[in-house]
Amino acid sequence: MTLVRYLVRRVYHSIPTLVGALLFIFILVRVLPGDPARLIAGPEALEEDVQRIREQLGLNKPIHTQFIDYVTAVLKGDFGRSIKFGTPVINEILFRLPYTIILALVAEAIAIAIALPLGIISALRPKSKTSYIASVISLIGASTPVFWIALILIYIFSVSLKLLPSSGADSPRHIILPAITLSLVLMGNLTRITRSSVIEVLSSNHVLTALAKGLKDRIVITRHVLKNALIPIITIMGLQVGNLLGGAVITETVFAWPGIGSLLIDAIFFRDYVLVQGIILFMVLVFIIVNIVVDVIYAYVDPRIRDVLWRMS
Amino acid sequence: MEKVLEILGLRVYYELPQGTVKAVDGVDLDVFKGEILGIAGESGSGKSTLALTIAGLLRPPAKVISGKVLFRGIDILRLSNDELRSIRGRKIGIIFQDPVTYLNPIYTVGFQVGEVFEAHRGGKILKYLNEVINLFKAVKIGDPERRVYSYPHQLSGGMKQRVLISMAIAEKPELIVADEPTSALDVTIQAEIVELLNEIRKELNTSIVFITHDLALLLEIADRIAVMYAGKLVEVGKTYEIYKDPLHPYTKALISVLRYERKRRPTPIKGSIPSLINPPPGCRFHPRCPYVLPKCSQVDPKLVNVNGRYVSCLLVGGSDGGGS
Repeated sequence: MTLVRYLVRRVYHSIPTLVGALLFIFILVRVLPGDPARLIAGPEALEEDVQRIREQLGLNKPIHTQFIDYVTAVLKGDFGRSIKFGTPVINEILFRLPYTIILALVAEAIAIAIALPLGIISALRPKSKTSYIASVISLIGASTPVFWIALILIYIFSVSLKLLPSSGADSPRHIILPAITLSLVLMGNLTRITRSSVIEVLSSNHVLTALAKGLKDRIVITRHVLKNALIPIITIMGLQVGNLLGGAVITETVFAWPGIGSLLIDAIFFRDYVLVQGIILFMVLVFIIVNIVVDVIYAYVDPRIRDVLWRMS
Repeated sequence: MEKVLEILGLRVYYELPQGTVKAVDGVDLDVFKGEILGIAGESGSGKSTLALTIAGLLRPPAKVISGKVLFRGIDILRLSNDELRSIRGRKIGIIFQDPVTYLNPIYTVGFQVGEVFEAHRGGKILKYLNEVINLFKAVKIGDPERRVYSYPHQLSGGMKQRVLISMAIAEKPELIVADEPTSALDVTIQAEIVELLNEIRKELNTSIVFITHDLALLLEIADRIAVMYAGKLVEVGKTYEIYKDPLHPYTKALISVLRYERKRRPTPIKGSIPSLINPPPGCRFHPRCPYVLPKCSQVDPKLVNVNGRYVSCLLVGGSDGGGS
């Protein structure tokens, strides 16, 4: 019950964030160069036609009226119709969403599977080979641009070895390259955070208590080091997933992966401001939700946070 | 008397980039069955390092350079990791200074105490719930049936220290090392904890090595006192003898401060504790000693027996054999 009450409170407290985001998105889209009405009408359209389209879209109304119209529509669940596709924005997003979700999850899973053990081992054995590999991976992950990793992988696996497809999403094999590309970037950060978090917990006093009890090293490490070290790692993982669910713009574009990120790029190039608005709003929502989920996981791991969070609700 | 612990020529150094810290530099000490041995020293005198060494908990960069720590005749410095683990928590318990950071914040205190039984008897922790509740009763934690499910942050400092004590006594160890167990607590709570440790000693006939900077506290509870200065012991003796007639100039100075309220102005000890990286040559106390002799900066005095008491001072029973 406390959890439900907590969630209700969190959603309620998200409203100001959401309103702020709506205002910001609205202004951002209006100040972008390019006239959507003229774009829709085509380069040889008459001024009357452009004017007519402008009226249809409501672009001739005063700016504050436009904002109120926009917010009312959003509250009703109406994200508007895409100018380019003529379909409801929400449909476009929902159509692309599964691709983004699967790519995000596969990439994060690969990153976790490699970065966590690597970070842990390099913290426990700072002078080992694994530790060296971990530093190299964090360095590559942190300093290499995504598009470059993507191009190199395409060059090796698609062009030279002809093993994997380089674009599209027609078969499960298509996900391999974009997922690896993304996971390499995630891995760098995750390895570094895991390593430093484990090192920090290792030197804390309660670990000495655990040793003084005569517990086996393995239990001390898993129970008293790793579980405590998990707390900052969860934050990073949450942020990463949140980021990815909003669409991995560059990766999706390079690999022509039909997710939210490439949809956003298309929308921007077409000056489809309704679609752009919709996608950005969707990203904001994803972030709010991911933050709440991360906090709940936090509370599950750390009773101190649990007490504070539950008490506030 | 029956010896529980015998420390012989112990040297523990820390190899740091700034230099070698000689935290424990030649310590000889016996702990007898059922006694409370107080170790008094300023911060930075090496007393915590000594505590960790006795409890078999030294970790790098600490390194044992030489010496033996015989627990029941077995040198714990030469034990394998597994052998050491079966002693830690079962035969030797340790109580740390700061109850807040020495408990893991994410487990209930009952679970953390139950781990001691798990470590030495095996099985699930839940199996030992009754033992843990009984332990909590023994250390006078109110409402123990509920308290076992509390998390550390839900308990007061004194309560947390009781939890740590219950961990240390869970397996009825022969030796308990208490490293400043009351320093982080209020004075009233301090008295309660000291009283508790005294009761435990009587009940279990456990030896307690009580380490503190608070000599006044030791005068109240310790049977014998060892005074530590800059990595060495300067005087070891029965509590009342040390109080009545301190022999070493450092002990004299400490005791005179304690007598301040009863007598006249104390003579403060001038200067401060020397660096353990570059300790002064000869007697380490000589730069601060009011009775300093020229040879004090050249000869490092040995701990010698003077009428059943041990003192390391050239003025006392040393090579020139003079009294105090």
